[in-house]
Amino acid sequence: MRLLALVWPELREADADVQPFERMLDALDDLSPRVEAVDVGVAMVEVTGLTALWGPERRVAARAVMLVRSVAPLAVRCGVGDNRWLATLAARLARFERDGAPAAFHTLERAELRDLPLTLLPADAATRQRLALFGLTTMAQLAGLPRSSVGAQFGAIGERLQDLTRGHDPRPLVPRRRPERVEASATFETPIDGVGAAGLTLRRLAADLCDRLRDRHLAPGRAVLELGLEDAPDLRVAQPFPQPALEPDWIARLLLSRVEAAARARLTAEEEPRVASVHLRFDRLADPTARQLPAFEARAGRWEELRWSLERIRHRFGPGRLWRATAERPTAALPEHRSRLVDIGS
Amino acid sequence: MPRTDVAASPSLENALESLRARGLGLRRGSEAEPLETSRPAVPTGHPALDAVLGTGGWPRGALALLDAPAGGGATTLALRSVAAAQAAGGLAAWLDLEGTFDPAVAACSGVVLDWLLVARPQDPAEAIELAAWLGRSGLIDTLVLDLGERGVPERRALDRLGSLLARSGSTAALVVAPAGRIVAGAVAGVRVALHRSAWLAVGRDLVGQRVRAVVERHRWALAGASVDLELWFEEGRRIDPLLVAAAEPRPVVEVEERPALRVVRSA
Repeated sequence: MRLLALVWPELREADADVQPFERMLDALDDLSPRVEAVDVGVAMVEVTGLTALWGPERRVAARAVMLVRSVAPLAVRCGVGDNRWLATLAARLARFERDGAPAAFHTLERAELRDLPLTLLPADAATRQRLALFGLTTMAQLAGLPRSSVGAQFGAIGERLQDLTRGHDPRPLVPRRRPERVEASATFETPIDGVGAAGLTLRRLAADLCDRLRDRHLAPGRAVLELGLEDAPDLRVAQPFPQPALEPDWIARLLLSRVEAAARARLTAEEEPRVASVHLRFDRLADPTARQLPAFEARAGRWEELRWSLERIRHRFGPGRLWRATAERPTAALPEHRSRLVDIGS
Repeated sequence: MPRTDVAASPSLENALESLRARGLGLRRGSEAEPLETSRPAVPTGHPALDAVLGTGGWPRGALALLDAPAGGGATTLALRSVAAAQAAGGLAAWLDLEGTFDPAVAACSGVVLDWLLVARPQDPAEAIELAAWLGRSGLIDTLVLDLGERGVPERRALDRLGSLLARSGSTAALVVAPAGRIVAGAVAGVRVALHRSAWLAVGRDLVGQRVRAVVERHRWALAGASVDLELWFEEGRRIDPLLVAAAEPRPVVEVEERPALRVVRSA
């Protein structure tokens, strides 16, 4: 088995914007059906057999880099090895050839582990200190010791570390479940004037997708709408729904208000965008019957419906307009401590 | 050129008849919009006022103005109306232009905060537009437009809101606008004026006021009736029934308005 580990150093930082990571994983689906999200900013891809299709492993990695950089232009370290440990360590050892290079690539085989320092092992500080006390500094030294001796001195953790120094890692790749989605699109022979004019088409696409999902008792939790514009970059909005619903009217109206707000923010007033195509995607599919409250409280159902209107109002007027009052401490001495207002949009 | 009377034109009459036959509600511009009758009116929270209004409460699909000066009980009456609407299973929205809405007071008036939306627009124009959006959803039963002291809405905007509510036919909008009551009064389908007739006091403490609610205008029922209402100062605490029983009316003393003190700077 050959694994390709991808590490984005910028996404590993504490204050990083991790929004593109999911879309990067989606992009990697085009390279291999087995993609695992190890952690935020770390992905593992099985590339066994892909060399026959794309050429040497460096070229396979280059293709993966090309796919993920189409989502977000972030620098990435790539490492290839026979298992998770070797691939991850290879990515760690990869060095960028120059400043500003988009990617670094490294391949690591078992035999190359011998001269590497033990500080590269995923061990805690106390274990490292004890290894140093025994005079062990390289992986070859730990790998050459009898397993029983290592077990007697360091326990199960030491045996596991010795396995790593020998290049053995039994952990399998656990591919992520590919998120289910349904898509539909329409292209206009003659581009239409204005985003609002695409409303009818949007309604029709939403109705088509809802019909497809209704038979499976599923409802979308989010929609991604892409408008292909004639003389401007495409307009793309991702809109989570207040709750999973199979209501094409609600969905189309909410998406239209969202995309109109996005168009207002991006384009000037004189500029009327000409829409050439509409692409609609539903994902985060869930069971709509899981919501039981409206069955017992009719008003709850109306409030759920109202949340769709409130979402549109938020797009139209901006945040800070719509609030809900909550009773905090009904017995507090001061009236202002008894309740507070919560921004619905936050 | 001889003048043609369009009303007498047979072709126009025929066209109108055919449209009526299809079930389209046609009316002359001078006639009032038909009242929404498929759903009951929104209760005011005071059965006596419901009876006086003639429609059983605030009519749906219409603007109703609570015409009272600041401190005259309009907000209290609006809160009671919201509570009554919620008790009947409805949803309510409170448009709070000046940011003076107090959830604690609302909760003590019987308002269920879980089913109340509070909107805080930035100016009167935005308040009217927000009210139109909420009214158009058809999901709000009672919508209180509290424009406060600085909210003088545009007549055209209020007109547009009124016609939109009439088309929606599901929301009763109460306008509390001491500053803009003249403009709102011209547009509202129902106008109820509140006149303070007495204070309610326990000992030396004022605990409420007795107001005379006069239906000054009603587009769908007979106007002119009046009723006395007792409105209690809640200020965030629940009204004790003993206090209600012990309260005594005190006459309202009219105080002449004095000119404001002027600060004269010495040179």
